[in-house]
Amino acid sequence: MQETLVQVRGLSKQFKRDNGETFFAVKDVTLEIRRGEIFSLLGPNGAGKTTTISMISGLLTPTQGDALIGGNSITKNPLAAKKMLGVVPQDIALYPTLSARQNLEFFGKMHGLGGKTLNQAVDEVLDLIDLGDREKDKVDNFSGGMKRRVNIGIGMLHKPQLIYMDEPTVGIDPQNRRRILDTVLRLRDELKMTVLYTSHLMEEVQEISDRVGIIDHGQMIALGTVGELIQKVGEEDRLILKVGEQPVAEPLLRRIESEVATATRAQYERREIANGDSGALAAAEGILTVYATRGRRALPDIIRLANETGVDILSVEVREPDLEAVFLHLTGRALRD
Amino acid sequence: MLRKIWVIAYKDLYITFTDRNLILIMIVTPLALASIIGLAFGGFIGGGGSDVPVQNIPVAVVNLDQGVEFGGSPLNQGQTFVDLLVPQGDPDPENVLHQLTNAVELGTAETARAGVNAGDYSAAIIIPAEFTASITTTQAQTALTPVQIEVYASPAAPVSANIIRSIVESFSNQIAMGSITVASTIGALTERATANPLFGLQFAAAAGGDGFNPDFSAAFSPDAALIRIEQQRVTGETAAFNPLVSFGSAQAVFFMMFTAMAGANNVMEERRAWTLQRQLVTPTPRMVLLLGKMVGTFISCVAQVIILILALTLVGSLIAGELQFIWGTNLFLLALVILCVSLAASGVAALVAGLVRTPEQGNTIGSIISILFGLFSGAFFSVEAVPGANVISRLTVNYWGVEAFNKLSQDQTDIGLNLVVLLILGVVFFSAGLFIFNRRLSV
Repeated sequence: MQETLVQVRGLSKQFKRDNGETFFAVKDVTLEIRRGEIFSLLGPNGAGKTTTISMISGLLTPTQGDALIGGNSITKNPLAAKKMLGVVPQDIALYPTLSARQNLEFFGKMHGLGGKTLNQAVDEVLDLIDLGDREKDKVDNFSGGMKRRVNIGIGMLHKPQLIYMDEPTVGIDPQNRRRILDTVLRLRDELKMTVLYTSHLMEEVQEISDRVGIIDHGQMIALGTVGELIQKVGEEDRLILKVGEQPVAEPLLRRIESEVATATRAQYERREIANGDSGALAAAEGILTVYATRGRRALPDIIRLANETGVDILSVEVREPDLEAVFLHLTGRALRD
Repeated sequence: MLRKIWVIAYKDLYITFTDRNLILIMIVTPLALASIIGLAFGGFIGGGGSDVPVQNIPVAVVNLDQGVEFGGSPLNQGQTFVDLLVPQGDPDPENVLHQLTNAVELGTAETARAGVNAGDYSAAIIIPAEFTASITTTQAQTALTPVQIEVYASPAAPVSANIIRSIVESFSNQIAMGSITVASTIGALTERATANPLFGLQFAAAAGGDGFNPDFSAAFSPDAALIRIEQQRVTGETAAFNPLVSFGSAQAVFFMMFTAMAGANNVMEERRAWTLQRQLVTPTPRMVLLLGKMVGTFISCVAQVIILILALTLVGSLIAGELQFIWGTNLFLLALVILCVSLAASGVAALVAGLVRTPEQGNTIGSIISILFGLFSGAFFSVEAVPGANVISRLTVNYWGVEAFNKLSQDQTDIGLNLVVLLILGVVFFSAGLFIFNRRLSV
């Protein structure tokens, strides 16, 4: 059993709207993060991920509850807790007129590093983020991805036990995104750091996380390993078949459920596509969704039945069980909605 | 803790002083400003020129002089001065003194001083009870004794106060010259009569007749030696008033306030850029963060004032045709004033940093504060005649700083109060700013 590094107990944050009304941005969040793991908070935009992390890092004062980092309360002993913490904010929080090295040195000094230790740490980080050859260039002249890498480098400079990364891959190209995800994995595997990662991108959370907490409307709705969470929706694949504007009659759905051996459920949904400018109905799209274990094997039978009932299948997509499905299962909404 | 304060301050200073545009502004602005002031007041400095562009200086005159009996008739030199300054009826448009001053006669010294304190008058001239007696030789008093006319001046109106002092000095010189003439004449006659009894008898006989009617009062008469306003030009008072110092220091402090406000605004800009939050998640107390920012601001302010002082000195020297250090001889006190005024400005900046929520708010509020401070301290025009302005100006950093610079330029070293007030302003404003800053971040 891994040792617990972070304990979050009943963390809540209440804000006041302009009209004086109060609301909970985060309500009663409790979780534990184990030493050496990548723990991800997954949720749609505005779900409360950043507010939760801001309380854990001492930027926001909780309305209720507390967070302990290495046994140090962030509310009662914030300086001791912060010594163990490295932060990579969602925004690129750098001084654009300073060089990459100067940025790293400044924040390193703010974390108490100095002299040879600081120089060595800066060299190591520049090497890790692959910017050693650009260390003297002003950050202002960097690409978005390079800035992101410096942004991450600052968070890991003082070798914190816990590094918190708030959506570090937002708005960057796939190549830099891959590089960042690899860096996150190296933090855990090579530097033995504990990573608290937030994202609304299911794919990357699923790829890098040891455990995931799903947060929605300020509340933790599920928590566990990716496997444990997927088990909540079962081991079924989702087969998504687009049929255009053709109507799909109820008998076809019943035949799929009864005649396709691995299919457990079939449903039809007609989505109306509005014209972007006028909002008027431009087209309709029918989607036939079939839940089946070993979905690929069920596909030929489903297509055959569709042909028999005169329904042309326009496209097929097979989705294996994922966190998207978990979120859909728990909230009735897609993660990207 | 000190190390982190310096780390933050150094970073801010590095960013500021490696910004070419900013450096250009910091150097060009003072030079341009000093040149404008130099051109505007070149006449005063170089000895050329025009009259003081000031009029209707509010002055209170208190004549406590009891006068003496001289040659059988009453003589009151204090009243002569009152008559000279205070118009009998409507002011004479041809009388330059009446145009320059707006003098009223008051009954007591206390009322006059209170009027100056309240900002009703730029200066009060208080003529003592023994004034005429001290400067007039009579049979009872054959020797002159020193006497002092008090000019109680408002530090908020250095230009006006210096002009009034200049007028009083000129008048006093005139009176003293007359007294010495009479005393020396009588002395010479007495000495000659003693040495030559025949002359003594002849003189006594002549004095007893109608043919000898000496009018010694002519020696004191302003008509005999007019006190002209031309004689009161600031030109002749370089030691007492230098417009480059007065207006230059007002502008220096005014511009320095903008530098300080830029420092305050920088806190908000860092908050928007998330670099402030990034510092807040390091093991660094918030007080250290704000102190670091303000130390950077403080050093920028010091640099700004020094640059302007050097620029004004350069322009002053060019106009005078020789190297002139116009800020007095006490460099230690000058350095203290620069430090204290920068500290006070940084304190105000800390308060603004605590109060505002966005850089835009910071820009607006900072500019308003800088302009109001400048306005009430006379950076743009004299506000002596504005009721209450004198009192309000004492709440500004500018007032105490500019007054200290003016005093030092006149080699007056009584600036202890200025330094204390500036220190208090700095500490109080910074503490208030820190308190609010802390509360604002503890959301």
